[in-house]
Amino acid sequence: MKKMTTLMALAFTGALSTPLWAADAVPHEAGIESEGYVWNKMEGEKLEALKARGDALRGEIAFEICQGCHRKGALGRDDGTYPRLAGQHASVLIKQMTDVRAGRRDNPKMLPFAGHDALSVQDIADISVYLRSLPSPADNGKGDGKALTKGKQLYDKDCATCHADNGEGDGPKFYPRVSGQHYKYLLREAVAIRDGARRNANPMMVKAIKKYSDQDLEALSDYISRFASK
Amino acid sequence: MNHKRSQILTALLLAGGFWATAHAGDAKEIAASVCAACHGEDGNSVAPTFPKLAGQNAVYLQKQLKDFLSGKRKNEAMEPFLGSFSDGDTSALGVHFAREKTAPGTVEDATLVEAGRKLFQDGNTDSGIPACAGCHQVDGMGNDRYPRLAGQHQTYTLAQMQNFKSGARNNDKGKIMRSVAERLTEAEMKAVSEYLAGMEVK
Repeated sequence: MKKMTTLMALAFTGALSTPLWAADAVPHEAGIESEGYVWNKMEGEKLEALKARGDALRGEIAFEICQGCHRKGALGRDDGTYPRLAGQHASVLIKQMTDVRAGRRDNPKMLPFAGHDALSVQDIADISVYLRSLPSPADNGKGDGKALTKGKQLYDKDCATCHADNGEGDGPKFYPRVSGQHYKYLLREAVAIRDGARRNANPMMVKAIKKYSDQDLEALSDYISRFASK
Repeated sequence: MNHKRSQILTALLLAGGFWATAHAGDAKEIAASVCAACHGEDGNSVAPTFPKLAGQNAVYLQKQLKDFLSGKRKNEAMEPFLGSFSDGDTSALGVHFAREKTAPGTVEDATLVEAGRKLFQDGNTDSGIPACAGCHQVDGMGNDRYPRLAGQHQTYTLAQMQNFKSGARNNDKGKIMRSVAERLTEAEMKAVSEYLAGMEVK
């Protein structure tokens, strides 16, 4: 599992070679690895996108460049490579997109399709409003179902306070909806957050799951993947 | 005064109508006298190095023509003809070719089609290649923003992907196609070109 973790971290942060025409440097901003890191600082493009009035129809058009990976209807893939975005809080989507653009969340695969050449701040607001309105059916990827009691116990103890009893999250607080998400994606991100690889993570969450084993995270992700979808 | 104003308006509208009709006529004439030699009389080129324009989306065609005129898109074969039409003709030319019917393409290497289909519809999650269908649509018909690819000559499709990859073609929206092509292997580009050539034309 440790090996798997390393592999996943590599796949996630692995540098893709930069082509000659891509003159823009890969953005990098201080994250959770830095002293004085403040989670979800309200500034820059994030603030602009939150202030902008999003339009779902424009968002559907702008989302065309995203749906090659996140799939039609933003349902993602159950192999965990691309998360489900349908039904996610607009605030969360804005935070994650602007974090990727700013280099607070490392995602070289996504960057060219969410960077400044590809999307405007208004596009981000539009896409977020479009995605939040989409249904998230119960066909998301699940775990093996073998440790659900343990998963529930961990969730109720450490996760429900922020992500809510049924995984609805909390839009105004930027806590993601986790219900309807694919098991493999939940697990991959939980591992990355625990190990510090997801640099825009909330320190409260890192602290909450710091001592979790890989098996704990598997049980937890499996339990979450079975929440009733929106 | 109001009456006079409305008379002027009517005259302007009529003139506008004649102007548009004249231009539609111009487009047909330009297509026959300028474009046909390479792109075919009905917009279905015979030589596979030249793209089929028949059935291409009008707005997309217009943008490409404007880009050729402004120099944003460069092509040696197109260069000698850029003096034969102007910015004002691009809209009518786009509409003209969009109305023509695309001739079906011919698959040259059928063994590549399935790999091409998979890449087009599903992408490559290992190398981060989005499914082409995301923008170009599941049926390869594209829309105003992204070109129709169904039925296009594989030679032309392949050359465009290679040009996006090298950066020789750089008039794509938001560097999106260059970012995708950068991740495509030569084998993937060939496979998807074959799939597109054999795709059903509507």
